[in-house]
Amino acid sequence: AVLVLVHSPVPRLRALLQRCWGRLERGLWPGVFGGQSPPWGAALAVQGPALVPHDGISDAGERSAEAPGLPGSVVWMAAPKHRRTIEVNRCRRRHPSKLIEIKRNIDVCPECGNLKQKHVLCGYCYAKVKEETRLIRMEIHKKEGGPFNAPTVETVVLYEGEKPTEKDEGKRIIERARKRPSWFVQN
Amino acid sequence: MPPFPSGAAWARGLLSWARPERWLASGSLFPLSCIHSSTSLQKIGKWEKKNRIVYPPQLPGEPRRPAEIYHCRREIKYSKDKMWYLAKLIKGMSIDQALAQLEFSDKKGAKVIKEVLLEAQEMAVRKHNVEFKSNLHIAESQTGRGRYVKRLRCHGKGMFGMMKISRCHYFVKLVEGPPPPPEPPRTGFDQAKEYVQQLRNRTLVHTL
Repeated sequence: AVLVLVHSPVPRLRALLQRCWGRLERGLWPGVFGGQSPPWGAALAVQGPALVPHDGISDAGERSAEAPGLPGSVVWMAAPKHRRTIEVNRCRRRHPSKLIEIKRNIDVCPECGNLKQKHVLCGYCYAKVKEETRLIRMEIHKKEGGPFNAPTVETVVLYEGEKPTEKDEGKRIIERARKRPSWFVQN
Repeated sequence: MPPFPSGAAWARGLLSWARPERWLASGSLFPLSCIHSSTSLQKIGKWEKKNRIVYPPQLPGEPRRPAEIYHCRREIKYSKDKMWYLAKLIKGMSIDQALAQLEFSDKKGAKVIKEVLLEAQEMAVRKHNVEFKSNLHIAESQTGRGRYVKRLRCHGKGMFGMMKISRCHYFVKLVEGPPPPPEPPRTGFDQAKEYVQQLRNRTLVHTL
């Protein structure tokens, strides 16, 4: 089948179709038309003229000579000729190239024992570190008090029972009220 | 005229039908346990009922029947065709391997199937007398079509289309034991052997 798109040679035909459809819709779905444009606009496809039987007097000439009488405005589009059977569809959908491949790059994280991909950080360990960093940042925020108050010296994070060493002379010290986590190595 | 017991026989039949099945020993009328009333669920699906079958006790010499656990989730907001690819991925794998594959899959249905598998694993350990939770493999994994809903989709220039919001069901059957070894692919030699065997099986029909 070939789809013929008529680029509205007759504007009044299109307007008439829209009005007809609007009347139909108001009859079928009285609630839908409240405040919206008519839902089923007329798509000027092949069956356009056939839907308006009582307008045949003025458009008789057009309808009888539809194909040869419209030289420039007809566009022939590709359309499927036959229905694809379910067997053919299945062959295409279940082809091995379309199936999901098994991933062979999954390992066990040596720290926590969860699964991780080889080239990606372990999700659990990353979430752990992210949470601790968030708490450190809250402490920093409390110390600074507002934006643009970052000091020009380095920062050192100390946990419970730790004293600043001589290396941490001029640095800003952030206290965290918990035991040092095993993965946060102290220099 | 259908067969109809007449008069007294009919009245007796009616009374015996109207009288409930069992009376308790005390004689008072309790809510009857024999009548099954589905209160919350409209309809219990066939897959859920498969967990209820009870086999007769096995004889001493028989090999041990492996435990089978049926689990499903209904009305998942996902397409059944897209879900089918995930179901096909994990068919025949051990449960640990399946969970690993699903964890690193980017699809939306992978998260749902992972939850279903974990639920089924927990059910197996609690209720179905499975000893090791890793000793399970996926025997069957299927998808089904859920209830579709039609909605209007707005295009430009006042045009509208109808779209369907699709949902799907997911069914899984876990069986105790290691996963079965994969079948070796059919070679040309096997096909030739089968062909020759078919030729040899030909015989004369309708003769002495």
